[in-house]
Amino acid sequence: MQDAENVAVPEAAEERAEPGQQQPAAEPPPDEGLLRPAGPGAPEAAGTEASSEEVAVAEAGPEPEGEAPGEQARDERADSRAQAASENAGGNEGSAAEAEPRALENGDADEPSFSDPEDFVDDVSEEELLGDVLKDRPQEADGIDSVIVVDNVPQVGPDRLEKLKNVIHKIFSKFGKITNDFYPEEDGKTKGYIFLEYASPAHAVDAVKNADGYKLDKQHTFRVNLFTDFDKYMTISDEWDIPEKQPFKDLGNLRYWLEEAECRDQYSVIFESGDRTSIFWNDVKDPVSIEERARWTETYVRWSPKGTYLATFHQRGIALWGGEKFKQIQRFSHQGVQLIDFSPCERYLVTFSPLMDTQDDPQAIIIWDILTGHKKRGFHCESSAHWPIFKWSHDGKFFARMTLDTLSIYETPSMGLLDKKSLKISGIKDFSWSPGGNIIAFWVPEDKDIPARVTLMQLPTRQEIRVRNLFNVVDCKLHWQKNGDYLCVKVDRTPKGTQGVVTNFEIFRMREKQVPVDVVEMKETIIAFAWEPNGSKFAVLHGEAPRISVSFYHVKNNGKIELIKMFDKQQANTIFWSPQGQFVVLAGLRSMNGALAFVDTSDCTVMNIAEHYMASDVEWDPTGRYVVTSVSWWSHKVDNAYWLWTFQGRLLQKNNKDRFCQLLWRPRPPTLLSQEQIKQIKKDLKKYSKIFEQKDRLSQSKASKELVERRRTMMEDFRKYRKMAQELYMEQKNERLELRGGVDTDELDSNVDDWEEETIEFFVTEEIIPLGNQE
Amino acid sequence: MNSRRGSGDGGAGSATYPETPPWQLRCLLLPGTRGRRPIIRKWAQSVFRSCSRCGLPRVTAGMKPILLQGHERSITQIKYNREGDLLFTVAKDPIVNVWYSVNGERLGTYMGHTGAVWCVDADWDTKHVLTGSADNSCRLWDCETGKQLALLKTNSAVRTCGFDFGGNIIMFSTDKQMGYQCFVSFFDLRDPSQIDNNEPYMKIPCNDSKITSAVWGPLGECIIAGHESGELNQYSAKSGEVLVNVKEHSRQINDIQLSRDMTMFVTASKDNTAKLFDSTTLEHQKTFRTERPVNSAALSPNYDHVVLGGGQEAMDVTTTSTRIGKFEARFFHLAFEEEFGRVKGHFGPINSVAFHPDGKSYSSGGEDGYVRIHYFDPQYFEFEFEA
Repeated sequence: MQDAENVAVPEAAEERAEPGQQQPAAEPPPDEGLLRPAGPGAPEAAGTEASSEEVAVAEAGPEPEGEAPGEQARDERADSRAQAASENAGGNEGSAAEAEPRALENGDADEPSFSDPEDFVDDVSEEELLGDVLKDRPQEADGIDSVIVVDNVPQVGPDRLEKLKNVIHKIFSKFGKITNDFYPEEDGKTKGYIFLEYASPAHAVDAVKNADGYKLDKQHTFRVNLFTDFDKYMTISDEWDIPEKQPFKDLGNLRYWLEEAECRDQYSVIFESGDRTSIFWNDVKDPVSIEERARWTETYVRWSPKGTYLATFHQRGIALWGGEKFKQIQRFSHQGVQLIDFSPCERYLVTFSPLMDTQDDPQAIIIWDILTGHKKRGFHCESSAHWPIFKWSHDGKFFARMTLDTLSIYETPSMGLLDKKSLKISGIKDFSWSPGGNIIAFWVPEDKDIPARVTLMQLPTRQEIRVRNLFNVVDCKLHWQKNGDYLCVKVDRTPKGTQGVVTNFEIFRMREKQVPVDVVEMKETIIAFAWEPNGSKFAVLHGEAPRISVSFYHVKNNGKIELIKMFDKQQANTIFWSPQGQFVVLAGLRSMNGALAFVDTSDCTVMNIAEHYMASDVEWDPTGRYVVTSVSWWSHKVDNAYWLWTFQGRLLQKNNKDRFCQLLWRPRPPTLLSQEQIKQIKKDLKKYSKIFEQKDRLSQSKASKELVERRRTMMEDFRKYRKMAQELYMEQKNERLELRGGVDTDELDSNVDDWEEETIEFFVTEEIIPLGNQE
Repeated sequence: MNSRRGSGDGGAGSATYPETPPWQLRCLLLPGTRGRRPIIRKWAQSVFRSCSRCGLPRVTAGMKPILLQGHERSITQIKYNREGDLLFTVAKDPIVNVWYSVNGERLGTYMGHTGAVWCVDADWDTKHVLTGSADNSCRLWDCETGKQLALLKTNSAVRTCGFDFGGNIIMFSTDKQMGYQCFVSFFDLRDPSQIDNNEPYMKIPCNDSKITSAVWGPLGECIIAGHESGELNQYSAKSGEVLVNVKEHSRQINDIQLSRDMTMFVTASKDNTAKLFDSTTLEHQKTFRTERPVNSAALSPNYDHVVLGGGQEAMDVTTTSTRIGKFEARFFHLAFEEEFGRVKGHFGPINSVAFHPDGKSYSSGGEDGYVRIHYFDPQYFEFEFEA
């Protein structure tokens, strides 16, 4: 490669000498074998821009006809012109020289002289005078950016050179017009590398991108590089510069909120139709405000999966906030961003914007490194699939996306395709990662005689660990249990000989050998399905409104699936399990007026039935101690509020906020306690509960004391005010008497002596007597 | 019942009924009301419910109210006379009704208006009644006979009216409407020429924001006016100048009512709050918050209580159920600003509330066209906040 360059430059310089002389005219350069990269001191006559300047210069001569510019200025101009001309090919010199006397002639004629005196020194720079014109001055362009070098070209003799040129032309003119080519020769044979020049640098870049690695035949695979790259890589210093050390930014403890003595949780609230965002400590008595900002976000906010960051949305991108004071931690510039997704490990952020996408620079979806703030990779977004388009594996090692007939799995941190290729799965409809291991579940629908298929695949080995064939399938939905212990595939089928859709639940027991599958058949339409987190129960809402029932099932250790309990006539359309399992809230959101049922599934009792009229959202806190129901301004315009309940369904607070929009609990990272420690805590629960009960009593009595105290001061203040007012009132007694002619009206019965008593009786019962024969 | 009225006005006196005064013949008889007599019902047991927030018992007025059906359109204002034996009601129909507050029997009507009646007031000795209407008139009536004593023509609808403390001066304010400004006019009844010539002795122009509610201040030295912008102004009744100006509300002030001793007043505003002010200084004292526009608020004469009436705005009502409209009358403690009771009943927003001067009952008039007289049950009087 180095040879190529060394050879190329002198040769190019030689060739250039020739056309320079033949260029007075603004003709397009003849299309002969010349190469124009500039060598040292090369005249700028080459590019088309340069030739246009020549034209301008040639015409500039007669231009100052009307008003002859000051002599000196003109001289200067003429000088510069002459200079420019002399820099050009010799032919121009004549015309410039000719122009000068003509201009002088005109100036001398009958026009008044505007000439500067001899000793005038013009202190105005040209830049100042004609800045705007000079800006458009043709720039020096050597065209070197448009040149590419192609290696591994077959070495041929003159006899076959023509043919080679044809082939090369065919391949490379795809990327743009080739204005020039050069085939270095040695001993009558080409040297195996060639130079091509395009009309513009963009074409050259395009050619490098697309033709590099082009296989001409078995022996010849093209290597295409930009000519300028050689320069760049040649000048790399041999000495390694030690990168400058980035100062460490101490952001404080990003997890400080976990150290709160009372173990309270935080939540974010957006209200005033999105104008204000607040963070609160959740407290049994009243929420305690931590931070409130106006216009913190333009649309909504999101917490990262472990609660470290709060993401806010802006027209120009995403900002992450955290630490005790909610300082800005990172910014990601993505114009028009609409959706985001965090990797479960909080290392990466995926952002989506419908703007910004260009053909050769994918920017619709960008994956960012949260810690550095750098863009890791951009993707196009062709399909309007459901967000998140990229689904992350539980540990953040892989992420996958589904396109037509393909499943592309990428790995971190390289962001490249796993094993450099996507999986071809024709007809793939949906996929989902196991939350408990690097297993992907996907399903393909029936295709003529081939049954529908649900496949579980281990990654990165791509080993299929379980395939289940299903018949007459209409639709499948994949539901993983939170730990990845079970997978439920909800299968809608139309069995032969029956009408209507039948739903089956195919329960995969992931933790057992061979992954056994059991089937639960449902007779009614399914409204909602949800696994118990950290447990082996699931809840199903089924039936048609208004006859909706909820059933709780238990997957036993031997694989038997048992119906524990069914409640009928439920007002519910959504199931919300507590994050710790066991407790569940069945909610009839929106159209069902916000009916709520709090159920304990350990013995399947309904603890409480309540209602939050028109509730649109239900949010469990991350510990499963509290539930928030809310009426969001986004779905309903009046009574926007959020209510706090205990997990048992006891209403603790009603928080009315003007145009309340959204409440999100701050997630907690997974516990660091081992299973044994948790068990131990559960065993000693009595011991702890005593402490907590005492604490509660204390705070409760304190609270009521505070309340009483507050009321007392309020009452005292009010009494003081009333006393003052009444004193004034008493002072005015005489005036009042005067105004009302001496009648004391201060008390309702103050002039009772004047009254005459009169007895009036009233009807106490009603009797309607028909008045004769009315009809 | 003790009545201040002289023996003459009862007509047949101690008969089973006070005889119908002759002018009642002109009263509009609503379908279904002919030949029937109002009923005094037995008050039902009150319901005690635990307030979920504070755990305190919450008095819900469970008594059966007396329903007054005398209007065909929504009620605009209701007012007791000073003694509380009579209740005046006006509505968006041209009828002005007066009722016996004790049993809800209609005493009669004042006929003459041709448009919606916005306001009503009676003087301290219940001799005169003043009404203002959208038919661009303010009328003075003889309370007892129903005779129209004066007709004051205006250029635009009369929004508020009132007698001063001594009952000698009347005040009314007109709407900014049809190119006319909002004015407050003052007439001295002792000078008949003012009425005859329709020439008020003072007319205060109000250019910025129109007056939506106004009352006389204590001793008739000033009037207190609430504006569409939420501002409160105290105008001198002698010079017309603005004595005090405050802005505590962010939206229109729908109603102003004085306490019995006139030392303080409560405002009801579209900004979902009612506020208590000192009537001399206009100093803000207390705020009572709800989730709906407040149309009216009244102070209890003998307890530190305030009742608020309101609900979702009338124009939105048809689109929502009564349940979401929150058409309840709500009781707040004056000092603690805490709500302690609610009374349901109306199926539209409450437009006007009034406390009986003895504090044992209150009335509410609603967008639904009904006036309800509620008597409190014993629990109301026993209820006390823990303090």
